[in-house]
Amino acid sequence: MTISIIAQMAVSGALMGLVYALIAYGFQLTYATSKSINFGQGELVMVSAFFSLTLITLGLPYWLVVPGGLLFGAGLGLFVERAGVRLALEQKSEGWILLTIILGLFLFSVAENVWGRDDRPFPTPISQQPIQVLGVDVTPVELSVAIGVFAIMGVIEVFKRQTLLGKAFEAVSADRDAGELMGISATHTVMLSYALSGVVAAVAGILVSPITTVGPTMASALVLKAFSVAVVAGLESGFGVVVVGMFLGALESIASFSLGSGWREVPGLVLLILALAVRPTGVFGKATIRKV
Amino acid sequence: MWKRLLLIRGAELLMFAVLAAVPLAVQNPYALGLLTLLAIYGILLIGLDVTVGYLGQVNLAQAAFLGLGAYTAGLCVTKLGWGMPLATVAAIAVCTVLGGLLALPALRLEGPQFALATLSFTALTVTALNELESLTGGAQGLSLTRPPLLGHVLGANEFYWLCMALLAVVWVAMRNLLASQWGRAFEALRDSPIATDAMGMGTYRHKVAAFALGSALGGLAGALYAFNFQYLQPQSFVYELTVILLLGVVLGGRKSLWGAFVGASLVALLPNLLSNRTLFQVISGLGFLLSLLAGIRGLVRKTIPPFQAIAPILATGVLVGGGLLVANTEDWRKAIFALMLFSVVVGLPEGLMGFASRFLSRLFRIPDPPLPAPSPLDEVLPATPVKSGTPLLELRDLRRYFGGVKALDGVSMTVLAGQIHGLIGPNGSGKSTLVNVVSGLYAPTAGEMLLRGQPLPRGSLFRTAQAGVARTFQNLQLFTGLSAIENVMAALRGAYRRSRSMPLVLLGLGRIEEKRAQAHALALLEFVGLGHEARTPAKDLTYGAQRFLEIARAVARRPQILILDEPAAGLSHPDMHRQMEIIERVHQRGVTIVLIEHHMDVVSGLCNVVTVLDGGKLIAEGTPVDVKRHPKVIEAYLGEVEPGPVEEVAPAAPATS
Repeated sequence: MTISIIAQMAVSGALMGLVYALIAYGFQLTYATSKSINFGQGELVMVSAFFSLTLITLGLPYWLVVPGGLLFGAGLGLFVERAGVRLALEQKSEGWILLTIILGLFLFSVAENVWGRDDRPFPTPISQQPIQVLGVDVTPVELSVAIGVFAIMGVIEVFKRQTLLGKAFEAVSADRDAGELMGISATHTVMLSYALSGVVAAVAGILVSPITTVGPTMASALVLKAFSVAVVAGLESGFGVVVVGMFLGALESIASFSLGSGWREVPGLVLLILALAVRPTGVFGKATIRKV
Repeated sequence: MWKRLLLIRGAELLMFAVLAAVPLAVQNPYALGLLTLLAIYGILLIGLDVTVGYLGQVNLAQAAFLGLGAYTAGLCVTKLGWGMPLATVAAIAVCTVLGGLLALPALRLEGPQFALATLSFTALTVTALNELESLTGGAQGLSLTRPPLLGHVLGANEFYWLCMALLAVVWVAMRNLLASQWGRAFEALRDSPIATDAMGMGTYRHKVAAFALGSALGGLAGALYAFNFQYLQPQSFVYELTVILLLGVVLGGRKSLWGAFVGASLVALLPNLLSNRTLFQVISGLGFLLSLLAGIRGLVRKTIPPFQAIAPILATGVLVGGGLLVANTEDWRKAIFALMLFSVVVGLPEGLMGFASRFLSRLFRIPDPPLPAPSPLDEVLPATPVKSGTPLLELRDLRRYFGGVKALDGVSMTVLAGQIHGLIGPNGSGKSTLVNVVSGLYAPTAGEMLLRGQPLPRGSLFRTAQAGVARTFQNLQLFTGLSAIENVMAALRGAYRRSRSMPLVLLGLGRIEEKRAQAHALALLEFVGLGHEARTPAKDLTYGAQRFLEIARAVARRPQILILDEPAAGLSHPDMHRQMEIIERVHQRGVTIVLIEHHMDVVSGLCNVVTVLDGGKLIAEGTPVDVKRHPKVIEAYLGEVEPGPVEEVAPAAPATS
């Protein structure tokens, strides 16, 4: 195994890892405002991808398909918040874990029956022909993933810092009660975070579909690794998920090349269990002091 | 008493008798297969309920333990040629060990992180089963033949009876365990890990024990699963199954053996239910009517939030409507399951059996089991003669820094035996930090802590509690889901000898100690005036009663030194006097007390000595009267008194923290 093959594996793995990072970023958005995450996030990715595929087959131009898919993702995010999360948060219970799992199961079954159980190709205007960058082959589609991931994360971060609504978001994340006392509706902010999280899931679905094809199970492996990334990096740092996501992607790409493709999932899971044992708040998370 | 026994035990006996008689009456191999599966899932879900119901954690690893148990048993039979009992024991052992190991890193995790860790374990297990092809046969699967039991080849009927018998054994053993100190410790852990340690139970061993126990039952179920199907595939033990199992527990009802059983029946019978269209329509129609009635009633009476009333109606409505529209209900299996679960989780959070048992116990007016007569107080809390004047707790140059903040900056003090030693100071003076360092929540940065001349453990609530220090909490840390008497029973020191051994408790040998512990705890409740509230859940007590209960619970530790962290905070005037009287009576039994308090009248009325802290340092010590006149104390509370005319008088606001 030469260095160049390893480099090749690492680069294409790291680009894939950015998708994990993006899905994990979706967890962070909702965790920030409500300390809850959507355990059915993978189904949001998958259903949004299917919906976009339907728009394409209806003959819509690509520049309409993408916003359509994103809007649909936002709608799904709002649906999850309303049906699965809000009541549990009001009752201060962890019922949302179960309810988001249940909603995921429901969406999965709907997708299976509406769009079928088979994997389908996702047409894209971007070329699949590899080009050489610094001696490593990458396809423009892979590059579009990287650009898309950074673009959407950048937009959301700028939104959080520069707009009034974004500052309300940050305020509720920092202290829900103090935010409410300042006249910010925490419920609306949580809704916003779920809508954004849905948008992020839809972006992930549209970006990754040309590479993985679209099928009901397309996101189950992705989301599992996104969980690992979110926990290893911590649920606070957007920068952290990018670093950990790329690292994990590279690692598993090398592992599947050298150990066999079945072991692809293992580095992520081992990394996760290690991180949980050594640093449960995540590598980029802040340790908290227990108070009584 | 008899009515209770007759109805509850009678229902259990009747159920097992009917189930055991089924093969004699019906000669249907298909039905028998389903009932066998029901018994296996029953064992599996009782195990899952330990973590989900009692520990209150979302555990997504139970399918993995089913798989690990099944493969262990299968491999023992095929590769090693072992018999049924030995292979089963091996499956249980492997799952117990792995469950305990998984609990170690997962120990520090709560809520979503715990769920993620267990989910990853499931994924890792499936990957390993798939990839270790030389051992497991990978995706091809593993075939085995059911070995004879003690030289006797089991037919379908006999194997079914074996599974049912094991379910009955597990049922009885788990009932023994969960009604004992172990069950209380599991629930205590769910409500307040900090208090679980501070009351000397230990979060560590109980969390590991609960997880290992649940996993062991997964292993047992797995072995039976292997002997039943005689063919194993990694694909059977994936995420989907783990979700269905989890939802089975929730649907049936948490913290209930019947709930686990009902959940298991649903999980086992569900595929069957869907293949019969009429049956499905009847059941979904019934569900719709029920949720409609319950929802309208809830809306009219305003007992539940509108969402909780409307969402189940919508979900069951979709179920009924969809059932008429779609061509093949089996294709929509997951969606149907999801809708059913959604309605139950939202509309009946306590599950089917939680609801049913409440309803039935009202219908038949089943009383609570009677409490024994309280033990004499001298037996529970013997009045110990105190050698007044001997140092009990000594702190030397105790420091605790948080980053650059010196919360405790070299405090030395001595608490003499038999005293009520007050600890006061303005906000941020380091009182709470001092208590937290002495009780073991924080490790000191530097300094010495001695109890009767012996060094105290550092940074471990549990070991400090074992050493004889008990404390209460400024923000109450009761086990809110337990009743008042159970809160005290959980903390009782020296009441459980046999009960510490899990096997003895499983065999039901902990009952005598249970009765005695109840009597002891009742005596302590009467000691603080809560004897009549013994069965009330701690969360439903009045605020004042919760404060009294915390003291009763701490006293149950028979502490050498009792630290009370603002016991009168937020109490009404009458309750405050009652609280003072309780503290005085505890003191009269020979317990040395350290009292942190803001109410000066409480401090003056109770304390022999008062220590004043400010800015992490000790600034004064003496009798309450002396301390009140001490210039540094006045300065700390009111600000510096400047010479010359004072224009504004600083308000003497009592500090709170």
